[in-house]
Amino acid sequence: MRFLSDLWRILRHDKGALIGGAIVLIYCLAAIFGPMLVEVGNEQDASQAYLAPSLEHPLGTDSLGQGVLSQIIVGTRPIMIVGVLSAVITVFVGVAIGLLTGYVGGVADTVIMRITDIFLTIPGLPLIIVLASVINTTNPVVLACILSITAWAGLARAIRSQAMSLRSREFVEAAKLQGVSLGNMVGRQLLPNVGPYVAIHFLLAITGAIYASVGLFLLGVAPISGNNWGIMINLAMAQGALYTTDSAFYLFSPMAAIVILQVAFVFFSRALDSVFNPRLRVQ
Amino acid sequence: MVSYILKRLAMSLLIIYIVISLSFFMIRLMPGNPMAALEAQLRMQGGLSEVEIQQRINAVYSVTPDAPVWEQYVQYVWGAVRGDLGRPITNPGTTVVAVIAEALPWTIMVVAVSLIISFIIGIAVGAMMAAFQSSRFSQSMTFIVSFLSAIPSYLVAIALLYVLTSVYQVFPSGGAYGVDVTPGFNGPYVISVLYHAILPIAASVITSFGGWALGMKGSAVSVLGAEYVRAAESRGLSDRRITQSYVGRNSMLPMVTQLALSVGFMFGGSVFIETYFQYPGIGFYMIQSVGQRDYSLMMGCFLLITVSVIITNLLVDMLYPLVDPRIANPAARARAADQPSDTDQEVLPAGGSMA
Repeated sequence: MRFLSDLWRILRHDKGALIGGAIVLIYCLAAIFGPMLVEVGNEQDASQAYLAPSLEHPLGTDSLGQGVLSQIIVGTRPIMIVGVLSAVITVFVGVAIGLLTGYVGGVADTVIMRITDIFLTIPGLPLIIVLASVINTTNPVVLACILSITAWAGLARAIRSQAMSLRSREFVEAAKLQGVSLGNMVGRQLLPNVGPYVAIHFLLAITGAIYASVGLFLLGVAPISGNNWGIMINLAMAQGALYTTDSAFYLFSPMAAIVILQVAFVFFSRALDSVFNPRLRVQ
Repeated sequence: MVSYILKRLAMSLLIIYIVISLSFFMIRLMPGNPMAALEAQLRMQGGLSEVEIQQRINAVYSVTPDAPVWEQYVQYVWGAVRGDLGRPITNPGTTVVAVIAEALPWTIMVVAVSLIISFIIGIAVGAMMAAFQSSRFSQSMTFIVSFLSAIPSYLVAIALLYVLTSVYQVFPSGGAYGVDVTPGFNGPYVISVLYHAILPIAASVITSFGGWALGMKGSAVSVLGAEYVRAAESRGLSDRRITQSYVGRNSMLPMVTQLALSVGFMFGGSVFIETYFQYPGIGFYMIQSVGQRDYSLMMGCFLLITVSVIITNLLVDMLYPLVDPRIANPAARARAADQPSDTDQEVLPAGGSMA
């Protein structure tokens, strides 16, 4: 539990990181338990539309008279699921390819790195938009796969260069002499040494995936069904929220939810960075 | 040097070829693909003979639908190479290339200007943060800059739209220039173009200069601690000389590498920004064509965005030997390659992993 005590020590001194970590935790809890506690019904009540914030609806109501806050809480889960799934795929593919090519080297390395270069060059977001417009993305797993289509490449390159410098270290040499299998070498010997880097990249991959997935819903490229922040903003914009001041809460609440989460992730990942990277603490 | 450029060139051509193939396979071979859908739609309309249907499809996607698949593939690739990307389904009177040719200059202008502005501001702020470490300025700047770089650009665009075009009607909410000016090189037109470009550029600068500042700070701080800087100081070189030739140049190195990576990211972000500001660039047309299921225009836009990114990458690659002479000199490059450099691990692209 050295890691946790280290993390706590850093968080205690870095207020930004502490608040960031707490916010990320709150969002995770909202994603897990939110839909059980809050319900967004199907009833529509036009007389309740665009109410100002009140005790019953702390962030006002939308055009159908439903509470904005409860929609935001319910909308947390789909966004977080897609973000985490996509980050898992990105990290898994990136780390596996990076470690294998970096350790094995040779022709396989050259060929796979050329392929990685291709994915690194093709602009990610336009490719995601194009794929999402042809492929049905109602299933979160499919959406997550599309979102991570180019994101793994950068990670694979970084991990590969670390694996290449690990290759000449003594413990790898020793493991090789013991005749361990390739799976053991990659999973047990190399992986723990790139772990910190992977953890930070995991958080950043989540923010990247949330950025892109909310963007897809905003643009209406991903199917509008159910309830999440991107869909809320999309509907608000479509209902002319820019031109009336009553719906300001409906438009800006989901935007605030996204900004707070993204900023919290960035500050939290900075704290993780200094836990794993003692060099940074001195600065 | 020549072989370095040739290698990059070959790689670029390969990527363009792959993207062309990808767009063919997506249009033609996906289950329920757009081409079959168009054929079914034309049949449903009735009143068209089989030959006419084939001709229509041929016009839109510039392939013959009843030929064998490999023949269609060759037709498509050859068409794309000659600059024939078919016609937009929604507007068959014009060609995809004509639409793109009109849109591309706007996108390039906005992306280039905002990239240059955010690069300069970011490098300046980052260098100052590194120079006055642990001052209050540096601390508050670190906070502001990480905050701004974490905000998605489309949200800034919406906020700007709300405040500056709706509540206070300071800026126009769409278009590339006003209706009352005649295009051409005259004063009112140029002013109108700049006036319309301010908001899109502001939205992407606000969200992207922070990444540059943080990267520059990190890189400058690590250079400041290097032995050669201490050696230069102890040799009694002037502060200005040390800042420019030792710290400045070396800490700029990873930033220039970043420049190449971030071009793709900026083009991606321009999709959102152009859509929200209704700026008639390539991203705007791409999203419009997605909404209208206009696949030939959509793939054309995607192809052109990719090609633009690749060309800018090539330009940056050619610029790189100017900043880092080791690249052009093979012997020095071999020496540099022997020492595993960790520059690409230290700096994360602006915008996380989506670059």
